[in-house]
Amino acid sequence: MNVLTANRLIDGEVVFWAHGRWVERFGEAERFEGDDTGGQAEAHAKNQTTVVVEPYLIEISETGGGYAPVVYRERLRALGPTNILQHGKQAEGGADIEVIAQASGSAHSGGRINLIKRK
Amino acid sequence: MYQYDVIDSEIIADRVGEFRHQVARRLAGELNEDQFKPLRLRNGLYLQLHAYMLRIAIPYGALNAVKLRKLAQVARVYDKGYGHITTRTNIQFHWIKLGDAPDILASLAEAELHAIQTSGNCIRNVTADPYAGATAEEVDDPRVWAEAIRQWSTFHPEFSWLPRKFKIAVTASAKDRTAARTHDIGLALRRGRDGSLGFEVMVGGGLGRSPYMGVTIREHLPVGRLLSYLEAVLRVYNRLGRRDNNNKARIKILVAQLGAEEFARQVEAEWVLIDGAQVDLPDVELARIRGFFAPGGLETLPPVSPAFEAAKAASPALARFARNNVHPHKTAGYAIVDISLKAIGETPGDITADQMDALAALAERYSADDVRVTHEQNLVLPHVKLDDLSALHAGLAAVGLASPNINLISDIIACPGLDYCALANARAIPIAQAIAERFAEPELAEKIGELKIKISGCINACGHHHVGHIGILGVDKKGEEFYQLTLGGSGAEDAEVGKILGPAVPANRVASAVDDLVEVYLRERRDGERFLDTYRRTGLQPFKDAVYVAAH
Repeated sequence: MNVLTANRLIDGEVVFWAHGRWVERFGEAERFEGDDTGGQAEAHAKNQTTVVVEPYLIEISETGGGYAPVVYRERLRALGPTNILQHGKQAEGGADIEVIAQASGSAHSGGRINLIKRK
Repeated sequence: MYQYDVIDSEIIADRVGEFRHQVARRLAGELNEDQFKPLRLRNGLYLQLHAYMLRIAIPYGALNAVKLRKLAQVARVYDKGYGHITTRTNIQFHWIKLGDAPDILASLAEAELHAIQTSGNCIRNVTADPYAGATAEEVDDPRVWAEAIRQWSTFHPEFSWLPRKFKIAVTASAKDRTAARTHDIGLALRRGRDGSLGFEVMVGGGLGRSPYMGVTIREHLPVGRLLSYLEAVLRVYNRLGRRDNNNKARIKILVAQLGAEEFARQVEAEWVLIDGAQVDLPDVELARIRGFFAPGGLETLPPVSPAFEAAKAASPALARFARNNVHPHKTAGYAIVDISLKAIGETPGDITADQMDALAALAERYSADDVRVTHEQNLVLPHVKLDDLSALHAGLAAVGLASPNINLISDIIACPGLDYCALANARAIPIAQAIAERFAEPELAEKIGELKIKISGCINACGHHHVGHIGILGVDKKGEEFYQLTLGGSGAEDAEVGKILGPAVPANRVASAVDDLVEVYLRERRDGERFLDTYRRTGLQPFKDAVYVAAH
């Protein structure tokens, strides 16, 4: 299961793809399942060069009654820095934030899809 | 402090205008990210995990109240009310918006601040001894030479696209507070047997993936020939440094491959081709620059302050602060005061806007409007009357800046790590916080004495882990944070790269592993030995046994 993420060009904010638009909360992100791995959305996003910087797909999994990025780095992007909990998206709170904050462990890969391009 | 002349001001104003135009073109889609990225980096603007980061140059670590208040204003208006001091004596803000960046740079320029030479493959912001102009140890004021290098290196057309970044440090004391041997070029001012001033020139130092300590290629370069000699070093590097592999592009790799002797030979051969009269600093300009750093306004005072002695006797907190944070000044009746940005439980190197404003007022009142930044992520008030120490201590304590832990176990260098940095593999800040909290008891910290812990969140080593007495490197093991410990490093005059203790440990084991290492030291140490001295005498084994036996 994948989610498409990027940083917004104008302010660097972490954003997620949701059915044709970018949202700030991971909990509102569109989840690509089954045959739809998000490749089409990624290709579309890569053309939005004045909106976002370097869009890429990340692996997510079901956990604790919700969803969270598989890899720690992406959970941290979806939450904010751990040294100041009042900063970043975690400051807003909410059930989806709580799920990510409680998630643990990590995949064997970097959790970032298509990072190493196949020839 | 150096004051901008018309040329400096015009350069900065032009640069702000140019960047404003570049940002507008990026937002309009006239520049794509590949085209824009090197331009924004040249203006200190990085894209990190949560936002843009703006790194602002603090040439040779020199600040005053005007600059501090400007930084405080930027922190409040454009960031989240704080800044982060780096190991290159710069300050960075972690929550910057691209759209605001031109306005921020324009605002900074009002206080003679900018973000030039804080990124890119150019000669970076020059660092110098934070005790410059205040310590009796120095043979000359290194800021004079650092400022000359700044003027020579800024936008130097020949050296704006080097194979890799290039870092220079200048010291003038036997005790090295600049980590000179970890720089691409370390310059140490010395007096020759004939009394003449010269530079010991060390080249090829650097940390990162392949750590090297700089090697001396000239024992005594006449000071007047500094710029032409630097130009010769840079030319050899620019010509022969590798451009095909980023990991092998720093000058340290070139010096290691050629050998110091051959590298020095090539520099000398290049040097004779350079017309020194065109490059070296004219005496008139040297005198002009030196004038900005002339000591002034210090009074003639008795060497001992009865008021301070009485206050110390009455206040254990002040006495502790004096033992650890107050150092001798070259002028009788004055002291150098180190301000720790390592309050227990806080983020190493972070300073809030309110603290900046408070410090600006304290510097004006008690330290001749002079503040320095150290590469250990602390600050210095260099010219404080002994009579004022008690009041200054109270002023610092009121804003949480009186931590009495300089050079102690909780005075930890930590890079921003995975909490902010796009390059990091693991977090550094929470590891530093956990260690500091474990050794929060000031008596214990003082009993342990000098112990420099340095933490990096990745192999790029911004946290200088290679030269920590205890170095800690965050690594990614199958997507989880692990930490590799090294022992015996030093960035001081006895510079050395630390040795790896053993397999990396998980995050929750790091603080207890440090505890194990400290216990071995306390058990094994002989009279007067620092942690580093004991390690050098006993070697790695007793420390290794303690950590890894305990782990099983």
